[in-house]
Amino acid sequence: MTMKKIIGVIVLHFLLVTSVIAQSFVVEGTVVDNTGETLPGVNVLVEDANIGIVTDLDGNYSIEIPSKDATLVYSFMGMVTLKEKVNGRNKIDVTLIDDSKVLENVIVVAYGTTTKEAYTGAAQVVESKVLEDRPVTSFEKSLQGTTAGLHVTSSSGQPGTTATVRIRGIGSISAGSSPLYVIDGVPMSGSLTDINPNDIESLTVLKDAAASSLYGSRAANGVIIITTKQGKAGQTKISFSSQVGVASRVSDGYGLMNSTQFYEHSWSGLYNSALLDGKTTEEAKAIAHDKVIGIVGFNPFGIEDPLDGNGKLKPGTKVITDTDWRDEIYKTGIIQNYNLNVSGGNEKTKVFLSLGYFDDSGTTLNSNFTRYSAKVNVTHEVNKFITAGVSNHLSFSKTNAPPGGSQGSNPVRSAEVINAASPVYNNDGSYNWENKAIFDFNPVGLAELDLYEYQGMRALVNTYINFNILPSLSFRTTGAIDYSNNKGVNYYNPYHGNGAGVNGRSSMSRSDNMAWNISNIFSWTQQRDNSSLEILAGQEAHGESYSALSAGVTDFSIAGKPDLSWGAKPEPPGSFTSEWNMISFLGQAKYNYGGRYYLSGSLRGDGSSRFGKNNKFGLFYSVGASWRITEESWMPESDWLNNLKIRLSYGTSGNNNIGNYASLGLYGSGANYGGYPGLTPVQLPNNDIGWEKIASFNIGLESRFFNRLDATIEYYQRDSNGLLFSKPLSASNGFGSITTNLGAMVNNGFEATFNYDVVRLENFNYSVSLNISTNANKVTNLVSDRIISGTKLLEPGASLYQFYMQEWAGVNPENGQPMWYVNAQSDDQLENTNPQSAFADPHGTGRDVTSVYTDAERVRLGTALPDVFGGFTNNLSYKDFDLSFYFYYSIGGSVYNNDYAVNMHDGTQAGGNLAVDALDAWTPNNRYTDVPRYVVNGTDQGNELSSRFLEDASYVRLKNISLGYNLPNTWSKKIGLQGLRAYVSAENLLTFSTFKGFDPEGAINGTTSNSIPGVKVVTMGLKIDL
Amino acid sequence: MKILKYIQRSLVLVVALSITSCSDKFLDLEPSSSIADDEVFESYQTANSALVGAYDQLSSPAFEGLYITIMSDITGEDVMINSVDNWNWFIAVYQLNVLPNYFFADSPWWAGYKIIYDANQIIANARTIPDATQEDKERLEGEAKVIRAFVMLKLVQMFTPAYIVDKDAPSILLVTEPRKHTDEDLPRAPLSQVYQQIESDLLSAITLLENNNDKGFFDKRSAQAVLARAYLNMGEWEKAKDMSIEAYESLALVTPAGLFDGFYYRNSETIFTVAYTPEDNNTYLSIPSFYYPVYGYSSMRANDHFVDMFSKGDVRSSYFLMEPQVDEDRHLIVKFLHNQSVGNAERISIRASEMYLIEAECKAELGNYSEAQDALYVIQKRANPSIQKSNKVGQDLIDEILVERRKELFGEGFRWNDIKRKQSRFVREGDHWVKFDFGPEDNDYYRLTYPIPQSEIDANTKLSQSDQNKGY
Repeated sequence: MTMKKIIGVIVLHFLLVTSVIAQSFVVEGTVVDNTGETLPGVNVLVEDANIGIVTDLDGNYSIEIPSKDATLVYSFMGMVTLKEKVNGRNKIDVTLIDDSKVLENVIVVAYGTTTKEAYTGAAQVVESKVLEDRPVTSFEKSLQGTTAGLHVTSSSGQPGTTATVRIRGIGSISAGSSPLYVIDGVPMSGSLTDINPNDIESLTVLKDAAASSLYGSRAANGVIIITTKQGKAGQTKISFSSQVGVASRVSDGYGLMNSTQFYEHSWSGLYNSALLDGKTTEEAKAIAHDKVIGIVGFNPFGIEDPLDGNGKLKPGTKVITDTDWRDEIYKTGIIQNYNLNVSGGNEKTKVFLSLGYFDDSGTTLNSNFTRYSAKVNVTHEVNKFITAGVSNHLSFSKTNAPPGGSQGSNPVRSAEVINAASPVYNNDGSYNWENKAIFDFNPVGLAELDLYEYQGMRALVNTYINFNILPSLSFRTTGAIDYSNNKGVNYYNPYHGNGAGVNGRSSMSRSDNMAWNISNIFSWTQQRDNSSLEILAGQEAHGESYSALSAGVTDFSIAGKPDLSWGAKPEPPGSFTSEWNMISFLGQAKYNYGGRYYLSGSLRGDGSSRFGKNNKFGLFYSVGASWRITEESWMPESDWLNNLKIRLSYGTSGNNNIGNYASLGLYGSGANYGGYPGLTPVQLPNNDIGWEKIASFNIGLESRFFNRLDATIEYYQRDSNGLLFSKPLSASNGFGSITTNLGAMVNNGFEATFNYDVVRLENFNYSVSLNISTNANKVTNLVSDRIISGTKLLEPGASLYQFYMQEWAGVNPENGQPMWYVNAQSDDQLENTNPQSAFADPHGTGRDVTSVYTDAERVRLGTALPDVFGGFTNNLSYKDFDLSFYFYYSIGGSVYNNDYAVNMHDGTQAGGNLAVDALDAWTPNNRYTDVPRYVVNGTDQGNELSSRFLEDASYVRLKNISLGYNLPNTWSKKIGLQGLRAYVSAENLLTFSTFKGFDPEGAINGTTSNSIPGVKVVTMGLKIDL
Repeated sequence: MKILKYIQRSLVLVVALSITSCSDKFLDLEPSSSIADDEVFESYQTANSALVGAYDQLSSPAFEGLYITIMSDITGEDVMINSVDNWNWFIAVYQLNVLPNYFFADSPWWAGYKIIYDANQIIANARTIPDATQEDKERLEGEAKVIRAFVMLKLVQMFTPAYIVDKDAPSILLVTEPRKHTDEDLPRAPLSQVYQQIESDLLSAITLLENNNDKGFFDKRSAQAVLARAYLNMGEWEKAKDMSIEAYESLALVTPAGLFDGFYYRNSETIFTVAYTPEDNNTYLSIPSFYYPVYGYSSMRANDHFVDMFSKGDVRSSYFLMEPQVDEDRHLIVKFLHNQSVGNAERISIRASEMYLIEAECKAELGNYSEAQDALYVIQKRANPSIQKSNKVGQDLIDEILVERRKELFGEGFRWNDIKRKQSRFVREGDHWVKFDFGPEDNDYYRLTYPIPQSEIDANTKLSQSDQNKGY
């Protein structure tokens, strides 16, 4: 501002201000910039009259005008010229906006750019500052909570995994629901983790049809456009940033039993089991004493017979083994992130170069990620007519990722299920492999002996040439290649775990994916005084070819050598290629009248190899309109309302994510038998499979009040039709399912975004922003009445992720058996009569319960999806310091805690560890509890699927907080720098939730599966500009 | 003009790209590792590979390779599965507590119908293969029919009450031809209809097939053996007897020493074996992996009362041993061995000894006691040369034959069905960790018939919860 003030003062001194001596109307006021600073030297002119004045030192002006209906024009260097109708006002205060702000209003959209004012679609731009210096492997994780309507959830803390991203709900049942990612104008095929987030200049999230329909059959789930950094003309800038951080598990989760608790509890389980077998108390005690070590696997105490007559530890007994398996599995991760950028050029040629290194050593044994990346972006103006450019990205990544799920080799599961009486090491220092939960799978030993290593290389190159054929007509041809090459090694050592039976096993795979894209687009623009018309037309072709090669061997002569040449017995190798192609034609027209009315329309035709013979081609369109009400001449000038715009759009798009050959009836190879090669049917034919279509409607309101508060409110409805779905089939068809265009689904919701400048002072600024998104997901049509799978029931009228299970009624105080509500009226079973096993709830709810699991009918128990989610951001700056923190919140929805269910097994997994909560199991002396009696190998079925383990998934999380200091320019100049910044930042520092597991953020379908829990990270960094 | 040149060039580029891109091939792609279903029966070679593929499905661990076999013994009194160090395999099976949504009800059902689907394709198309000889066509059709009948027989044994109790009971879905997914779903067919289909498939196969030396594939003899089993379930003693005799005819029983070869490779008395090779054996999901005391899951144990049934002179008593280092409490079983590497073992699915025992049982049922005693003696004498030929008659003789079936065939997948088809009491005593004692008159008997999988009831428009088997 100081610069502008100086200029203003100079202008003042050199201008001779002449006042016009006509007795007419006087208007006065003050001119400020958008930070509230007064602007001296601003030209204030009366439109269509030779009258003018400049503002004084304090930004004030007073001007006499000939008519009350005149229009004043305010102009100033570096600011956007502003026109104000006087309309009889005597006082007009105005705010001029920086030119650079206007540049920010240019947003990258489908096949081009536009301005925020002119746009008829719903889109939001995410600036690079949100993405830079975040300790995450891929950028989409940083987007959580930043954009209304964008739902981001990570189901694993494994470094290098990507998050699940959904724009405006879930668009599809079984086809992919991920958005399309477009990088520098070209649809992307490989993994998001290959992209260095620090190379990204901005992201545009295209939400409605007007914004995304131009991508046709790939746009149904929205589009995220990635624009990478470009060089700027002028002084070359070299910047180096480094960041180092420590990562740890996001929370401690529920407690697990220690060795004493588990030993005693197992004793009681055996005792209970014997009593149920009809033994006397004395016999039962004897049996329990006899068997307890067999169940637990180890005697963790210093003496031979550690328990007294009641199964309690004899006082004073020394505990020798008490392993905290979580401590053994989890560790502190170190994150390192270094980036070197060079940016510069001249008016003709601009270059941006970057080198990046990212390393996350992981919070779990044997899980880590390292990425090296390099980028070159060049643009060159060949002559007046031709501009060419290349955007080039190379990366190499390497990761170790242990298996997940219920596999024995999943270390996360091991930490939960191996009981604390099991030692990690024997006395001689060798690993102990005898635990009773996962025999021969000591996770610490396996981390050392086994290998799960994956490497990826990625080259993403796209080149364009732009011909400015006429001033109003240009033609751009773009060719792109997105190539990735991946390599994987799974090695099981010969002695323990998965490889023991075959004396070691090594499996290797190599795959590559080659995607190409060519587009040829004409753009024609016509500017008239009061209107403009832009037309875009072109063609695009896209193809992908994925091929893979795999081989394996067993029987190793020595351990620790995973290469295939070490194995004596080869396993059958495999290879295959899978391809798809698409050809498209597209067109778009945009019309603007008077800066007030905007219209747009688009059309795209796609033909794809993925679809059935009878449905190869699809046509998609959109229409959009917007109206800037505040630009209307009849709109009264007001201080409080600076901008008001209404947007409407409607359009269709498609989803083709169903695999490459889903329509074909196929016999697959590899069904060999008895030494002969065989074929077997692998897929049923369906020639009718067609596009999954989504029709989107959007209405939006953009507004600005008091030059401080921006508010955008939108309502959307997305109707999915002809949903691609693996329809479950009767076994008589040979297959469990077939892909069909089965049903319909609707997503609707509100989105609101508010930005408010709380304080705007020279040295102190404070702004907050809040976004709120709701989404209601409802299946509207299915071919079948209902489809039950796992924890969910799919049916018309309900959410895609509707939970369906027995309703837990607690524990019978009489005998400790689990109870479920009978719910005889439920439509799970036809009869509405109570089963024989039903009885009145002893807890006095007045409802009928049963202790026979299968006699309880399943009921609908809500959805896994949140009702409301969003972010709340605070940005503060004081002099050279800045502080920002933002919260992500997700309210509503449930999660079925499978992991917890495994730790509350009530004796069915006798040797497996238990949560501390299980100590509250029913006994004759502890009748009123929610934990059933503990019976070793019992058949009560208390831990079967039921609402016992269904939890509220709501949470609020301090997603990021960061504090930075920028060295003042004058100081940094002295040490020869253009800039210096130091900061500390923390990710996921605090979480508020009632969830029992590690992390309420998980799989989008609301079930847990022993994934590596999320991480919290504290980092510090330094950024130097040379 | 320069500008015009650019326009011209770019237009040429667009047109060229459009033309190359629009060729038909561009949008009609086929995968590299599979072929279109309509190509399979265009040549004998691929059709024959499809038959091999059907055997591959049959041999899968989810069906004849492991689950059905091992479950058929665990659902019995003679053997048991450990509750620990066993990764929870077959626990619910052993507890007789398999619910409609359980893997062990689901998996054999779906695996079974996949095999039937494969077989139906071959049966429907074998006759029209252009380059196949009449002999080839008959062989393809015949073998596919045995496969279909074999699978249906296994499915009715699991999912349907015994034939002798209610031959009109709702049974399984009777699928005899390739279906389209748009066809109407099938209800549960009456049990007698399924048995009729099994019978006609096998009778047809017997006429279509010759005997074959490769015991990894069904032939005339194995069709007769499967039919003998079906007739036995139906109480058709005369027919079962004839089929069993034809099935074992000219096969030499293995020697007493041969009983200890580990049953991992076809022997002289094999009628059908699941022909695993080292390349496609299922390592841990194999019979020896569960039965043999080391190297695999090693979690099968013999019941002490069962072990006591073997006399000292019976060589088969050496199938059991106590080895406190492995298991302090229970008898280990060394009947099934690994062949050099873990799980590398064929699974002998039908052998002549069983046929002798069927012959004996049928003859006893028909009142032909002396011939029944002779047939029984063949099996008893081999195991115990000093044993006296039985002189029992009537029910006593039948009971003795049934006991001999347990001794000779345990671990080979018969006990569950033997209890059911005879409507015997289910009595678990001694060192079983889940004990039972119930007879056909008791409610608990429903446990011997598996529930129709929930996945089938949910997907099949012709089935509802009320079509579920009793007790579930």
